[in-house]
Amino acid sequence: MTLQTTERSYSVSPTAASIWKRGRAIVLVAVIVVVAAVVPVLLPSGSTGGGSALDPGDSSLAGSKALAQVLGAHGVSVQRVDDVSTALAALGTDGQLLITEATDLTSSEAGRIAAAPADRLIVGQVPYLDVLAPGVISEVGGTSSRSRPPSCGLREANVAGSAYMGGSAFTGPPGSTGCYPSDGKPTLVRYTVDGRTVTVVGDGQFMTNLRLAEDGNAALAMNLAGTKPRLVWLVPPAEPDQPSGPDGSGGSDGSGGSDGAGSEPKSLGELIPSGVGWAIVELVVALGVVALWRGRRLGPVVAERLPVVVRAAETVEGRGRLYRARRARDRAALALRAATIDRITPRLGLPRTATPDEIVTGVSARTGEDPEQVRPALFGGAPADDAGLVALAGYLDTLERQVQDS
Amino acid sequence: MALTGRAGLLAALGALVVLFAPRPGLAVLGIVLLLAFLIVVDLIFAGGVRPLRFSREGERLVRLGQSVTVGLIVENPGTRRVRGVLRDAWPPSAGAAPRRLAIDVPRGERRRLTVTLTPTRRGDREAVTVTVRSLGPLGLAGRQGRHRVPWSVRVLPPFLSRRHLPAKLARLRELDGQHPALVRGQGTEFDSLREYVVGDDVRSIDWRASARRNDVVVRTWRPERDRRVLIVLDTGRTSAGRVGTAPVPTAAGQAEADRTDQGDGRRRPPPGWPRLDWSMDAALLLAALAARAGDRVDFLAYDRAVRAWLSGAARTELLSSLVNVMAPIEAELVEADSPGMVAAVLARAKRRCLVVLLTDLNATAMEEGLLPLLPQLSSRHLVLVAAVADPRVAAMASGRDTSEQVYDAAAAEQLRGERRRITSLLRRHGVEVVDALPEDVAPALADAYIALKAAGRL
Repeated sequence: MTLQTTERSYSVSPTAASIWKRGRAIVLVAVIVVVAAVVPVLLPSGSTGGGSALDPGDSSLAGSKALAQVLGAHGVSVQRVDDVSTALAALGTDGQLLITEATDLTSSEAGRIAAAPADRLIVGQVPYLDVLAPGVISEVGGTSSRSRPPSCGLREANVAGSAYMGGSAFTGPPGSTGCYPSDGKPTLVRYTVDGRTVTVVGDGQFMTNLRLAEDGNAALAMNLAGTKPRLVWLVPPAEPDQPSGPDGSGGSDGSGGSDGAGSEPKSLGELIPSGVGWAIVELVVALGVVALWRGRRLGPVVAERLPVVVRAAETVEGRGRLYRARRARDRAALALRAATIDRITPRLGLPRTATPDEIVTGVSARTGEDPEQVRPALFGGAPADDAGLVALAGYLDTLERQVQDS
Repeated sequence: MALTGRAGLLAALGALVVLFAPRPGLAVLGIVLLLAFLIVVDLIFAGGVRPLRFSREGERLVRLGQSVTVGLIVENPGTRRVRGVLRDAWPPSAGAAPRRLAIDVPRGERRRLTVTLTPTRRGDREAVTVTVRSLGPLGLAGRQGRHRVPWSVRVLPPFLSRRHLPAKLARLRELDGQHPALVRGQGTEFDSLREYVVGDDVRSIDWRASARRNDVVVRTWRPERDRRVLIVLDTGRTSAGRVGTAPVPTAAGQAEADRTDQGDGRRRPPPGWPRLDWSMDAALLLAALAARAGDRVDFLAYDRAVRAWLSGAARTELLSSLVNVMAPIEAELVEADSPGMVAAVLARAKRRCLVVLLTDLNATAMEEGLLPLLPQLSSRHLVLVAAVADPRVAAMASGRDTSEQVYDAAAAEQLRGERRRITSLLRRHGVEVVDALPEDVAPALADAYIALKAAGRL
């Protein structure tokens, strides 16, 4: 039978208009989300420098840009240095070195600073204080920071008045001046050693943008930091940027070209040529293209309602397992005996209603087996164990075969 | 839209270029833009899929186990050549091959493609969609679209038992007057008078008729004709159980054969064919035989509602109508509604007929369902119950080696005892019972019919 369709075929793929109609809401939401995410990033943000504490270039609350600008306005040149060697070179004789608690020093660096013939202003809890300011001992425990009166004869402190001091209290060497005492121990110590003025302050918060406008903080900071026409402000070195992707390697390649002859060991990322990173980007693009190629199905997945697959013997198998699990030898024996009796009674010429005695006599007469053996096999109790059950099944088979063959 | 492997290869080769380019960042940008440009060009110059027109031709019917080809004609009224791949999607059990076809249709022309269907189960199979991916001249990208091209193929029951038909027809002819061995007795009706030929039984000479003529005339006899046979197929849950080995490879059988039983780790035998399919096979042989014997055959499929009803089909078209009606029937996973079934039979069979009930001798289902209602049926009609036995149960019943096998054998004997009990109960109600293994049920049912016919009990 060969037929031909009269029905017309029709396209069921979506048109561009229907795709736009369906997807425009999603596109709109996506655009809103992207705009909301991108605009705040693009807007000029108030902070630059990433919020590092006591940094003259940091305008966040923890930074000290305000102080640096005020110092600059009063004719003090503030030099922000993140390297001890550079700092010592820039210091000269008429400079003052400012070391804050944010500065991360090694013991050798501390030794080099201590040997430098310049004034030092040490703010906050700085390591190697015994090297940087010999004779000054920091009290164990520290004190809380709050507004304290100067209570001393130091001109800079008296002029400034109360300031936000605390942090740690010190015991100064003989001949030192201590101010802003907490429990009798000064939190600001100034003394002169080998012609250098060393000032130690327990807490640097009075110099931050947050606290500078309070009390006499600004005046104190000006008086302490502006004693010399040049202030070298030692800050921790910037975090080394991890070369992430092609941008990092490309950037380091650009700057690395000038000092490539340097003796510093290069990291693995710097040794890989920048082309490799970009080639990986290109391979990712290729992977995306391959994913699009393999991911596009040729037509839909066809689902089908299938009939149930259940084997008819499953109930019987389940019953067999139940017998086995419960060791139901009585029921098993009963079923086997009933089946044998059902099959042999017609062969013996007996009716279905035959009594056990008739069957036993019939079987033993036909087969020649002892009735005393036949009776327990056909009408006895449950076998004592599994071996007995197997033996019973075998014996019933034998009986049946003998009845059939005779 | 769809991309090809060539586009991916091009992008991957771009990585090599980037590796040696003096400005790798710009090279990546350039390659991506070039690739996008080429893809867009390819998409623009690819032949349009939407304007394509399809039509089908070919077979609408196929017997289970056989293959059939369906032609798909692709007409391209567009302005560009359509070159690419096409997939004609059918349900998995339709067994459509090949999965994808290459097409190349110049503009304004048409091409004929063929899809071969090898169904793995009965029923109607509808074509789903035709998907075309039309590639551009560069082979980097293509347009993709779907069309619905309606076509359905009805997969008929295979009627494997037709190989028994010649033997059974020969036995039927023995009953008929055409055969020299005349059987005369109850259940035969007077057919005609004809001249005596040597070898005829002298007892069949009609002396009165011979006296009127100059020749010796014998009477011939033939079995009763124009009796009614109503085949009732139980499509309830008991018909869903699979028995025996499927004569036609089934998808379910393959899946099940690959899976091992988790319980005891041994490989299970494939689940075989549903009882329903074996019953249909037997019903078809019986219908063919009864139609040839001059009886009228009706067919009813029932579980909780009438699934199929065929009545009054012409003798020559009975088999084709029957397979058509049977094809979409599936076993429903519900308990059959026996009172409803009996009512449906009584409503449809006004005159006395042979009701052949193809069901399972399930003890609980029978005792609660059919047995109490049998007197209603057997008082007006002759009832024959045919059931498909499970060869796996027979195999289990003969296991004697280990205690596990003996427990299984006891369970199997328990079931067989129940079946014997139900059989004897049915016989006590005057119901004929045929309980045979799957391969034997069709000839056994045919034999039972012939025996009833010979005995004139129809």
